Amino acid sequence: MKTVIKNTTVADKLLFLFMIMASLAGIFISRAALPQGREVVVEINGEKEYAFVLDQDRTFSVPGPYGDTVIEIRNKKARVKEAHCPNRLCEKQGWISKGVIVCMPNRIMVSVGSGAANSLKEVDAITG
Amino acid sequence: MKKKILILCCVLFPVFFVSCGKAKPSIYKKTKPLMDTLVTITVVSASEEEADKAIEKAFSVIGQFGNKINFFSDKSELSAINKNAGIAPVKVSDETMGVIERALFISEKSGGAFDPTIGPEIRLWDFYKKVRPEDAAIKKNLSLVNFRDIILDHSKSTVLLKRNGMMLDLGGIAKGYAADLALASLRQDKIAAGIVAAAGDIRAFGLKPDGTLWNIGIKNPRQKSEADELIARARLTNKAISTSGDYERYFMDNGRRFHHILDPKTGYPASQCRSVTVISDSGIFADGFSTAVFVSGPEKGMELVRQAGVDAVIIDKDGGIHTTPGIKGMVTFEDSH
Repeated sequence: MKTVIKNTTVADKLLFLFMIMASLAGIFISRAALPQGREVVVEINGEKEYAFVLDQDRTFSVPGPYGDTVIEIRNKKARVKEAHCPNRLCEKQGWISKGVIVCMPNRIMVSVGSGAANSLKEVDAITG
Repeated sequence: MKKKILILCCVLFPVFFVSCGKAKPSIYKKTKPLMDTLVTITVVSASEEEADKAIEKAFSVIGQFGNKINFFSDKSELSAINKNAGIAPVKVSDETMGVIERALFISEKSGGAFDPTIGPEIRLWDFYKKVRPEDAAIKKNLSLVNFRDIILDHSKSTVLLKRNGMMLDLGGIAKGYAADLALASLRQDKIAAGIVAAAGDIRAFGLKPDGTLWNIGIKNPRQKSEADELIARARLTNKAISTSGDYERYFMDNGRRFHHILDPKTGYPASQCRSVTVISDSGIFADGFSTAVFVSGPEKGMELVRQAGVDAVIIDKDGGIHTTPGIKGMVTFEDSH
């Protein structure tokens, strides 16, 4: 081992350092480029508050101006199970496996995957 | 040899670090519930921090404007105008004055197909609870709908609705104007490219990081599933695009569709179109004219867009597509249409 270190030139050390940096960069690049597991993301007032994997069943509550909103993840689908907002449109929307459920009164947005953008990747925005 | 490798490394390393240090422009996107809808702002920036700061500022500009013209809030300038209808002029901010001025311009141009005094009719309908008002109530309130009874005093910055019971509703124009205000704020923060989308009222500027135009999908007014389905795509920049459709807020009653775009002359939903998309240089004109053309119908609507100097895609009540020559090369229809 000692002889190996002794025989290492400055150029070898620089090459070694370069290789470590390149592999570290590779990790970051591949993380950004490769799709991660499908997620359920809950945003409150535009801020991402919770993110759960879609594969694991769970039920949880999110506070809002109209009380707690209960969100359920089951069988790779998500829904607003219980809401106390005036029209409860979010609750009526039922289960989604992709896309977005929005509760305007409670300012809650539940999105599965990356929403509609998943299937319409090349579109930057939608009018209508 | 060793020396050569060493020199090569010394030359390459700084290049490596410089290329790592200078971040390339990326797309940053955020969504927030504002003005009773979802507003998404997309910007191109080399710095996430700067992008975030600019987006948050633009959101707050929209939020502040939204508070001034909120139909349902007691504290808004719009409510003050409505409460003082037939009583006294109300002093308003430049933004509120600006949006009302432009609303009047579109009302005049469209011969009243767009009318911001539609408030007394709008409040009779509830599209979520599927409430269809009595015919008599609709007829009675029609006398309160007339944009010519809005009196602006520019020197005093005041607005007066001539008759008691009149109500301004800027819902058909406000989101487009909000997009204009947000875009001005982003530009002030040195953002050179991006999109402001106040729901379907969109303003795009600059180019994407790869140098291409922004790609805006136009929703199919009769989609078969809940997921967004497109009828066409528009590739554009430095333009505003808005769509008015009969599929956003509606209910069906005896096979008839009752939706939220009311004809100011009848008080009932306009029935000649399924959707109208307008492409213009400003958000407020795209938003306002899309409503005006929807109410006017395909024939009068095409005449109106020609006069107004904007472009349009009209899907009539039977699904027929009408377009202006200006959309050639800008809008492509999906294969099925």
